[in-house]
Amino acid sequence: MLPEFEYHRPASLEEAVRLLSELGPDAKVIAGGTDLVVKMRAGLVSPRHVVDLSRLTEIRFIRDEGDRLKIGAGTTLWEIENSREVARGVPVLREAVEEMASWHVKTTATIGGNLCNASPAADAAPPLMVHDATLVVVGPEGRREVPIGEFFTGPGQTVLGVGEILAEVVVPKMRRGQGAAFEKLTVREGALSIASAAALVEISGGRFVDARVALGAVAPTPIRALKVERALKGRPATREILRSASREAKADIKPITDVRGSREYREEMSVVLVRRALERAVERAGGAWA
Amino acid sequence: MRAGGGGIVVRFTLNGREVEVTTRPNATLLDLLRNELKILSVRRGCETGECGMCTVLVDGLPVRSCLMLAPQVDGRSVTTVEGVGDPERLHPVQEAFVEAGAVQCGFCTPAMVLTAKALLDRDPNPDERTVKEAILGVLCRCTGYAKIVRAVRLAAERVAGGVRE
Amino acid sequence: MSSSSVLEEIRRAEEFLVVGKGVRRIDALDKVTGRARFTGDFVLKDALHVRLVKSPIPHGRIIEIDAERALSLGPVRFFTAADIPGENQVGYALPDQPLLPADKVRYVGEPVALVAAPDEDLAEKAAELVEVRYEELPAVFDPLEAMERSDVLVHEDRGTNIAEMTRVRKGNVERGFEESDVVVENTYRTGHQEHAPLETEGAVAIPDTQGGVTVIASIQYPHLCQRITARVLGLPHSMVRVVQPYVGGGFGGKDDMGPVVSAMAALVAFKTGKPAVLVYSRRDSFTSTCKRDPSVVRYKTGATRDGRLKAIEVQIILDSGAYANRGPYVLWRATMHAGGPYEVPNAKVDGFLVYTNKVFEGSFRGFGNPQVQFAAESQLDELAERLGMDPLEIRLKNLLRPGSRTITDQLLESSVGIYEAVKLLGEKTGFRAKWREYRRERAGRVRRGIGIACGYHGISTSRGVPDWSNATVILGRDGSVTVETGICEIGQGSWTAHAQIAAEVLGVPVERVKVVGGTSDAPDTGATHASRGSSIGGIGVYVAARRLRERLADAAARLLECDPSDVEIREGRAFRRDNPDDYVEWEELVQAAYGMGYEMSATGYFFLPKGKFDMERGLGYAYPAFSYIANVAEVEVDLETGKVRVVRVWPALAAGRILNPVLVEGQIEGAIAQGMGYALTEELKFEDGRILNPNFTDYLIPTSLDVPEVEEPIYVEDLYEYGPFGAKGVGEMALIPTPAAIMNAVKNATGVRITEIPATPEKVYFALRRAGVVAGE
Ligand SMILES: Cc1cc2nc3c(=O)[nH]c(=O)nc-3n(C[C@H](O)[C@H](O)[C@H](O)COP(=O)(O)OP(=O)(O)OC[C@H]3O[C@@H](n4cnc5c(N)ncnc54)[C@H](O)[C@@H]3O)c2cc1C
Ligand code: FES
Ligand code: FES
Repeated sequence: MLPEFEYHRPASLEEAVRLLSELGPDAKVIAGGTDLVVKMRAGLVSPRHVVDLSRLTEIRFIRDEGDRLKIGAGTTLWEIENSREVARGVPVLREAVEEMASWHVKTTATIGGNLCNASPAADAAPPLMVHDATLVVVGPEGRREVPIGEFFTGPGQTVLGVGEILAEVVVPKMRRGQGAAFEKLTVREGALSIASAAALVEISGGRFVDARVALGAVAPTPIRALKVERALKGRPATREILRSASREAKADIKPITDVRGSREYREEMSVVLVRRALERAVERAGGAWA
Repeated sequence: MRAGGGGIVVRFTLNGREVEVTTRPNATLLDLLRNELKILSVRRGCETGECGMCTVLVDGLPVRSCLMLAPQVDGRSVTTVEGVGDPERLHPVQEAFVEAGAVQCGFCTPAMVLTAKALLDRDPNPDERTVKEAILGVLCRCTGYAKIVRAVRLAAERVAGGVRE
Repeated sequence: MSSSSVLEEIRRAEEFLVVGKGVRRIDALDKVTGRARFTGDFVLKDALHVRLVKSPIPHGRIIEIDAERALSLGPVRFFTAADIPGENQVGYALPDQPLLPADKVRYVGEPVALVAAPDEDLAEKAAELVEVRYEELPAVFDPLEAMERSDVLVHEDRGTNIAEMTRVRKGNVERGFEESDVVVENTYRTGHQEHAPLETEGAVAIPDTQGGVTVIASIQYPHLCQRITARVLGLPHSMVRVVQPYVGGGFGGKDDMGPVVSAMAALVAFKTGKPAVLVYSRRDSFTSTCKRDPSVVRYKTGATRDGRLKAIEVQIILDSGAYANRGPYVLWRATMHAGGPYEVPNAKVDGFLVYTNKVFEGSFRGFGNPQVQFAAESQLDELAERLGMDPLEIRLKNLLRPGSRTITDQLLESSVGIYEAVKLLGEKTGFRAKWREYRRERAGRVRRGIGIACGYHGISTSRGVPDWSNATVILGRDGSVTVETGICEIGQGSWTAHAQIAAEVLGVPVERVKVVGGTSDAPDTGATHASRGSSIGGIGVYVAARRLRERLADAAARLLECDPSDVEIREGRAFRRDNPDDYVEWEELVQAAYGMGYEMSATGYFFLPKGKFDMERGLGYAYPAFSYIANVAEVEVDLETGKVRVVRVWPALAAGRILNPVLVEGQIEGAIAQGMGYALTEELKFEDGRILNPNFTDYLIPTSLDVPEVEEPIYVEDLYEYGPFGAKGVGEMALIPTPAAIMNAVKNATGVRITEIPATPEKVYFALRRAGVVAGE
């Protein structure tokens, strides 16, 4: 049984924002509903108003703008998985989406929903974090841009204020010399992550010119592994350095014990996943181990 | 568009026919199909989006009807297994399920058939891995999936091989 | 007809027309078109929807139940123990389980009251508003602790938490161990398993005009539902009619839960005079239905240098949860199968069924046997290792053969095909070569391994517990055939097998046969459990059809003017054997037989002959026959994450005649998937007795991408004299050795023995760490 609410289907993003500011904190946005409906049924949220964004074509697009890709927040995971632009420009996002849920869920689940739901285990987040994506938010005060690293504030918590909607995700595309990979550990196919990791590296002259690593399900929010990154940047791209840098992941994370895994296991697996993601990223960057 | 406690009118195409129903805004598509429209092949297995028993095709793609609000289907086209074939005119997928022994308790079967149809409509010749990926979202506790996968590939062969138009 | 003549005939028959063929399921069309109706589809007008009010605590006295707020919501009805007109008792083996508890609750999730309302949402809201005040009692969750304690008792009146004890004493184990050159001793643990049928438990009860009720429910034994429901309502059995619609998977759980859920719905219907619908939510299905008993098995095995088993000493502790339910029977089965399908001259087995304050346990495919076979088959590999033998060799040395005696000292005269099955399996899989190669390689972060495990499973009920088959076959005036049976169709295909048996015996095409089953209107055929649906269930059909066949042959002889023994009936025609052109069509024949005064319906009944069993020593006749199975599994183990992937499984089955290979393959493939889930991913997690993952989000049953390739089974058709056409049971078989086959393969891959299932990645990872196979990061 779902809580009783009023249903609204605004015809434009502008109307949606207006509606949300009028309705105040009792209103919730719905896109694919694959998180929201589950939470409503479990009694975790009971909005009085539900505002449906699933028909807003304005926020449902994938646009190639040269060095960056713009993805509308209302784009479904299925569309992302099948997008040639994403496969070429942000392959690590595609890789993550491929491993998420199932076809049946991805046909309605959106990328905006995955981010705004702000689960620590949101699988789309680590790839976007290593790409230094920017989130475009529209609200009663207009438009603002939020770096993805500042978007999540806690489990289920984001910087979005009342009346604000995530409109699009701007992702700098992979460049030549860069490589990226995503790793997800689950007990079973299609299940939620025990831990996940994304890595993006750039190698030049046998050195890590750039290295970005992000993890999911091992802290209150998806996080960047800054200590790992520091241990790589500027150093020779060797397996040994990669190995020892991966171990820094333990210092970057704050895992808990829950039904999916213990803190101890998550600590160990963070290192394994980071290492595996980095290794594959290096190979994809041209495979030039120093 | 806006609707509150009283009810909301939803118009959509169900198995090729236009329908118009009044429903509660907090009803799911699953509630609407089962309780109001008595489409009983769409089944309740978990209501958390995990099992796939509630699968229907919306505009040709498989979705979880337990996670979709009834009003969200307004203006769209919904297919249930009733719209795929009937005993006199089975769809090739249904025929293949019967022949390959892909049916045991039958609770998951409509969801499997719909998913297979949606897959074959997009990809007439899927390999084994593709079939398994497509049905990942529909659990089956009886068959171990082997004969279901075989049935989908059998149907593909038949359709591609021109056994049926 | 005497049983020996049945066997004679089966032996003589060389070829069958319908039996043994992959005949299409008779229910397939309904199912692929979505027309099949399940319990929750029968929502009648004016029906009341029923919801459970469940205990939030593991153990406590009920002080007060206050439904005032719930009732104030509208037309809501409310029921507690006090409303039960008959006996508030649904215990199966022991009278320890109330339908709704009057005095205290014993597990989190126990239904304490029922709420009913004309619409679902109202019922749900009302159930949430019922306030129950408890006086909390200290609770006990660990069976090993519960066994020792008498200060915390789940059932005070019993004075102990031990619900049942079993034993086997064969030969002299002390001497057996003395004569052994190696002795291996380990403790094995298995977890809960939830049946997770995709259709949850449910019942619809409809009051009838004569003061009784009709129940449509998701069940495995209509007559048991009838008995329990009648007991709760205080009615004669005949006033309760039970019918199954299609059932969306059972696996044993609905054998136990069917009567409970039926009685709840019936209570509401009986008290209100309105139809009542109770369909468990997935959450209810997790929190408030029986599971597979978790176990602790301590196992000591001794063998001589040449690999012959000398003695076993086994202690089996089953965690029964809050009620005994089928536990005593589960424990007996586990106890009597503790040796595995091997010759063991000296055996000492002790079993304990222990109450704890957790959800109760019950029937589940394998019925206690998977737990002990996991231990027994792991032990055998450990023993082989110590003896420098390979796993195939040690098995072939010890496997049961015709003339062997089991650990209960039962003589197995015939129908023992396991030796041949294992031999063939070893050859087909190239087991030895692979096993040696993987053991030698052991390099890299993903390791491959291969493992074998066997299993056996007694057919019919254990010991002297009476078992019979019963069915009616009716020929219509138009020649149509109706088979009436109490056996349920829960997906396994028994009705198709029944139709095949009737068609084969009568000589008509399968399409002519309609099976009406799963109803208390049919003869009591016993439960659809213990792999007995098609085998034991089919005997009655066979016997009844034989009776009709004899009458028809008689009638045909009169029409064809020949001796009845010269009449052949095949494919819907009766003809003279020496002149097939001289024939009568089936319809004509049946009509003529009606006209000549032959009775065109017959019942078939067969009481299984059983021998003596000495409960004191646990020796004697345990089962009329055993089915046998061996699985070889090939796995990959990711050492860095502990994740085990089962790549391929090769099954070999010795279960008598294979009535329908497509159905049998389906049972094997399904059982392997379920066994793999049990072994690797399906884990119920508890905190103070509360299930932390009562959902498919975190209770993980296998998907299409997890299941292994299952190779075509090897069949050794070791015919069983009382089975229809020599068939034994199949349904449970392939699950039983699957966990051990996988863990033996993991050992082959990594050198590490996993003694606890489910072996989730985390558990395997830390086991590998402890063994020093991987270092910490
Ligand atoms: C069976 C199943 C499996 C799943 N597996 C995975 C998995 O493997 N990995 C994973 O990461 N997730 C998984 N999920 C979770 C979920 O599917 C994803 O998070 C999905 O992307 C959510 O998108 P949605 O459109 O359905 O969000 P909704 O449920 O519609 O919304 C989610 C939240 O975001 C808010 N919101 C949505 N869109 C916007 C917007 N544009 N602006 C502001 N707020 C917004 C909503 O108000 C709500 O609070 C799974 C879910 C299910 C049911
Ligand atoms: S009922 Fe919708 S996914 Fe289970
Ligand atoms: S056939 Fe029973 S769940 Fe698939």
